[in-house]
Amino acid sequence: MVHQYKNNGYNIVLDVNSGSIHVVDECVYDIVPVLEPILKAGLTGETAIEAACMACEKLPYSSSDMREAIEELMELHEAGKLYSPDIYEDYVIDFKKRETVVKALCLHIAHDCNLACKYCFASEGEYHGDRALMSLEVGKKALDFLVANSGNRVNLEVDFFGGEPTLNFDVVKGIVEYGRSLEAPNNKKFRFTLTTNGVLLNDDILEFANKEMSNIVLSIDGRKEINDKMRPMRGGQGTYDVIVPKFMKVAESRDQMNYYVRGTFTRNNLDFSEDVKHLADLGFKQISVEPVVAEPTDDYALQEEDLPVLFEEYDKLALDLLDRAKRGEPVNFFHFMIDLTGGPCVAKRLSGCGSGTEYLAVTPWGDLYPCHQFVGNEDFLMGNVYDGVSRSDIRDEFKGCNVYAKEKCRKCFARFYCSGGCAANSYNFHGNINDAYDLGCELMKKRVECAIMMKVALDEQNEQ
Amino acid sequence: MKHIKTISTRDLKESMKKGGCGECQTSCQSACKTSCTVGNQTCEKVK
Repeated sequence: MVHQYKNNGYNIVLDVNSGSIHVVDECVYDIVPVLEPILKAGLTGETAIEAACMACEKLPYSSSDMREAIEELMELHEAGKLYSPDIYEDYVIDFKKRETVVKALCLHIAHDCNLACKYCFASEGEYHGDRALMSLEVGKKALDFLVANSGNRVNLEVDFFGGEPTLNFDVVKGIVEYGRSLEAPNNKKFRFTLTTNGVLLNDDILEFANKEMSNIVLSIDGRKEINDKMRPMRGGQGTYDVIVPKFMKVAESRDQMNYYVRGTFTRNNLDFSEDVKHLADLGFKQISVEPVVAEPTDDYALQEEDLPVLFEEYDKLALDLLDRAKRGEPVNFFHFMIDLTGGPCVAKRLSGCGSGTEYLAVTPWGDLYPCHQFVGNEDFLMGNVYDGVSRSDIRDEFKGCNVYAKEKCRKCFARFYCSGGCAANSYNFHGNINDAYDLGCELMKKRVECAIMMKVALDEQNEQ
Repeated sequence: MKHIKTISTRDLKESMKKGGCGECQTSCQSACKTSCTVGNQTCEKVK
């Protein structure tokens, strides 16, 4: 499968199955789709070149240029960097059949929140249930469960999530302390992450977080009027003025690394590139702003008709970020990060997000769900931290979830970069976890295109 | 090549040989919590 597109003056050809990326001139760009069926028909060498030349004769290039271009394309094909076949299906299905271990937990430290964000999937922290705080006992049991079910896996991830986890921060501290005590005896290493709206952040929390948290996710949507519209306090007051100074302090105290300011954009701010730029102008270097997931009936939900505007916004943002990089002031936008030379292996790329198998969410009272997005939906209650996973059928359903289980993903060029999308989004929009949230897919594809273009542009800049 | 410039990338086919150790982060966790993105993640063996 080949995906080709034009962006920012570059003609980009992505050989999906090998991961190879080629920047080509107009002549090659036009020949790429013509040559593929010829090679697939089994023609080789001079016969293939002759056939391709004939098929291209109406293209507006000289015959010597076209012949040269065809030869170059055939060279790439022979090197396994173009028109590569998809050889991964059996491999990934076998990979998914393996005995999985649990390697990450999302701890719902507080089903309570001091904000009333209008798009909250957790219905203001309560997850459609009662307000509750996790006890230290449940937190410890959760870590015991994780260690006991993690096999030989050394690195274990634990997120302190909510609601708002700073409403129950003594328990966070206790869980971290307990986790550290488990590391040496069990040959494990915990990586903790805190997700917070920032309102209660203080020096004590920050000092602790900087010592113990591998990552901090700081929630803010961007410009003051945008943030305050969707992220008010419970009394309706805005939060921007309260959180911005605190978040700036967090970012600086962590040397501008290992944190994200993380926002959500909705139909209220289709011009979300301005919000990313605003956060960058405030001095933040690690930024993630992403599309809201909402019911189609919500007035702030993104609609299919918004896609052209949103695509343009991603293009504008890519150019702005390139400009910042050129000025020596690079900003990292989470959704444009793409690691072309390293990055995960193909098993990881195709095998889905790990929800329900490697990653589970824990409620304040110790129930286990496939991920935070499913918490509160009793159909997905998998067990608890005391007795472990009792619904192995749910785990097996999630285990089978990979890009080859999803018809839309099999045909998608972005499958090696998104891994099949979010199971919860699929469930919310289509009633099963093996489909895909179509609007999200379109945005994901656009982001992959922009991210690759930026790599190409930065590569060119480095050469100069 | 005169018409084509190839950007350096990890060969996905090669990654089958030593991949699949499972030590990497789960996909949703690294920052965002609402989108499954793997293209930006780090391989624990490569880093």
